[in-house]
Amino acid sequence: MNKYKCTFLLGLEESLEYRVNFALSLISTFFPIVIQTFLWTRIYNSPDAVIDNGYTYPQIILYSLLAGMVSKLVSTGFEYEVNLDIKEGGLNKYLIRPVSYLRYRLSAFLGKKVPAAGILCAAIAAAIIVAVTALSMSLTLSRVVLFAAALCLALLLNFIIFYCISMAGFWLTEIEKLYGTISIVLVVLSGGVFPLDIFGSLAARISVILPFSYTTQFPVNIVNGKLSMTEILTGMLVQAAWITALFILARILWNKGIRRYISAGG
Amino acid sequence: MKRLKYYLKLLLLFIRFSLMAQMEYRLNFVSSLLVEIGYLLVKLSYVAVIYSTGVTIGGMTPDQIVIFIGSYILMTGLYMFFIPSFYAISGNVREGRLDMLIVKPLSLQFIMTLQRFDFGMPIPNVTGGLILICMCWSRAGLTVSFTHIAGFILFTLTGVFLTYCMFLIPKLLSFWFVSTSGISQMTDALWDFNNMPMNLYSNWIQKLGTFIIPIFVITNFPGLCAMDRLTPGYAAWGLAVPFLAFALQRAVFKRAVRHYTSASS
Amino acid sequence: MSIIELNHLNKTFDYYTKTPGIKGSLKNLFHRETLKKEAVKDVSFAVEEGEILGLLGPNGAGKTTTLKMLSGILFPTSGHAVVNGYIPWERKNEFKRTFSIVMGQKNQLWWDLPASDSFYLNKCIYEIPDADYRRCIDELSGLLDVRDLMDVQVRRLSLGERMKMEIMAALIHRPRIIFLDEPTIGLDIVSQRKIREFLKYYNEQTKTTIILTSHYMRDVEELCRRCVIINQGSVVYNGELADINRLFGNKKLLSIKMSRPAAREDLERYGRLREYAPNAATLEIEHDKIADYSHKLIEQFAVVDFTVTDIPLEEGIEIFYRKEQQVSLVTP
Repeated sequence: MNKYKCTFLLGLEESLEYRVNFALSLISTFFPIVIQTFLWTRIYNSPDAVIDNGYTYPQIILYSLLAGMVSKLVSTGFEYEVNLDIKEGGLNKYLIRPVSYLRYRLSAFLGKKVPAAGILCAAIAAAIIVAVTALSMSLTLSRVVLFAAALCLALLLNFIIFYCISMAGFWLTEIEKLYGTISIVLVVLSGGVFPLDIFGSLAARISVILPFSYTTQFPVNIVNGKLSMTEILTGMLVQAAWITALFILARILWNKGIRRYISAGG
Repeated sequence: MKRLKYYLKLLLLFIRFSLMAQMEYRLNFVSSLLVEIGYLLVKLSYVAVIYSTGVTIGGMTPDQIVIFIGSYILMTGLYMFFIPSFYAISGNVREGRLDMLIVKPLSLQFIMTLQRFDFGMPIPNVTGGLILICMCWSRAGLTVSFTHIAGFILFTLTGVFLTYCMFLIPKLLSFWFVSTSGISQMTDALWDFNNMPMNLYSNWIQKLGTFIIPIFVITNFPGLCAMDRLTPGYAAWGLAVPFLAFALQRAVFKRAVRHYTSASS
Repeated sequence: MSIIELNHLNKTFDYYTKTPGIKGSLKNLFHRETLKKEAVKDVSFAVEEGEILGLLGPNGAGKTTTLKMLSGILFPTSGHAVVNGYIPWERKNEFKRTFSIVMGQKNQLWWDLPASDSFYLNKCIYEIPDADYRRCIDELSGLLDVRDLMDVQVRRLSLGERMKMEIMAALIHRPRIIFLDEPTIGLDIVSQRKIREFLKYYNEQTKTTIILTSHYMRDVEELCRRCVIINQGSVVYNGELADINRLFGNKKLLSIKMSRPAAREDLERYGRLREYAPNAATLEIEHDKIADYSHKLIEQFAVVDFTVTDIPLEEGIEIFYRKEQQVSLVTP
């Protein structure tokens, strides 16, 4: 375990290095929240607005507050490094050492996440407390605990989604050019901007089928009280199922990819 | 006048060179185009929310609101046209490539900030923005008169100039700090406040965004002008603020260069 | 009148340290230690019009910093310099038109475009008339033998070809002064020689003043008559290249090959024995004793081959490179 711990610490150090940078990139997460809060407040106060999206005003506000931060919390970035490892032979050093590449990536990902996660979790907690008191929402401890658990699963799920995507690098060396588009489209599909179910029943149904909404929309809807207890428990089972399925997929892709990588001469 | 012609000629040359250089990497070109289509999706999701709820803001109908979103998308595309030079600044400073620019007998700011242009990123935004504006202009039943269109174009152009001045300043901080991508991210996020017409926000935010950090001037004034909602006072401010921003930006630039020439190695 | 004059030029930089490890990062978050480095200390020298001056020194000695001050890229901390009648760091456009700087490590050419495009850009920037420009390109591309490479993207060129293009780009406005900062770094011997020959020819033809820094002694030996050596920011030598070795005892190297082995002690009587094998030896001998000793050697040993050479320039320069460090050990 020690080698993964070391990777974790190196990732952590790298993140701390650029101090101003790091703080400011977190501030940027909060601007869209402000815009959306104003927008929803206006919509719910507007006499001519038609609201049949299934969210109450406090629910949608808490959603806006949290979606951006949760989306940032689960976001990745290692896919570029994986691509570079494949392209420039960086994988060789993992092949000759007794380390699992997936576990290495997971440790580094989590390590780099810690500083941001610490601050984001504090901000999320603050946002929940403010919203609950200001909007007089009812929030049970069990929901908070379930939210936290769902967040951990969401982090893992988003990691494995992007890990699987990055495996495409074995076949398409230029795939990194698409990563930017993929990640922004996935943010939209995971409900990182607006909850998908406000755009009609079709969008809602698609979001249930695909794994993406389980990285952002699902955890947020636990804490804002949109989902019932049964829906929460089913959702977490779906999360776990997706994680398992994608881990298996990742293994398969890796085995196929690495065979191709080795036969191509590394 | 002769000097203006000189710089204009060079500018056209830089634009041509940028296009030629970009055509060398078609995949990158397609990739940045696709990324922007992705972001366009995010911006359009706001349009979807506006139409699905039929909300009015400050007496403006959804169609009128979408004109502002269209302006914002258009202006984003125009900003992206000259963004590569901006993002190259920190690398140029860090790796000392600025040395080769400082020794050239022309304005350093010109050659540093107007050398590289992007053609992929603006395409989805400019097209998307123009479509939204034209579509909603007729749907909202706005008058199609010369003065309205001219006013819209005038404030769009001053908006571009203001964007250049305002958004150059944070990029210049890379003269002092090693890593400035955080600052860039933050100012670019600030830009996104224009995603909605400024009337959405509370009064003090409107004042702040008009007079202190005048980002609202960039994308709101063209639309307001087209809808006859721009008071003469605001119009005057909208025309004056680009010059103020220019002066400020020049002062920061001069300090930055002085810092470079005395501290870098 | 010298075309370039430096008077007591100084340059001090601030820099930060970072202790390694996570603790260092955390500590850096709150506090950074500022240190000062004197990159250039009290440097004075002059360059005559049409001269090629070698500016030598070990890595980090302050050569590049000096050149940057002379081109106006850096402000000095104190001191004066006049280049072609201008104070460089005032960065007047008229001044910028009179010189060029080429740095082996930095490029001004557009990476993805053919070099000819970058040349054309420089033509526009420096406002060169069409006819002059065409003549200049024609002449330079012929001299540097790059005529058929002009329309190849710069990134596809070899390092040597790219350097030739960089030099061409720097000469389009016919500068009176050229600063060359390691123009041959990393190049193969043929490219190095080509560039050397070009610079020599160009200097003779146009009487352009050149300051050259290089780590390759061949560059310096073939191009410069005079050199300035700086070490740790200070000038440690300023004079004729040929005089450097004379400073360290006017000695020459005498190498002999013999048909019969000779004893070490017998040879050592003539001078310091540098190399020794039973059948061959190299001796360090005072300049004025060469004639006398060579007779004696031929008489005493079975000499079959016999050469007299100068002590390599590197050796004299190396002493200067180390000298300052020894001095600074004594007086910190």
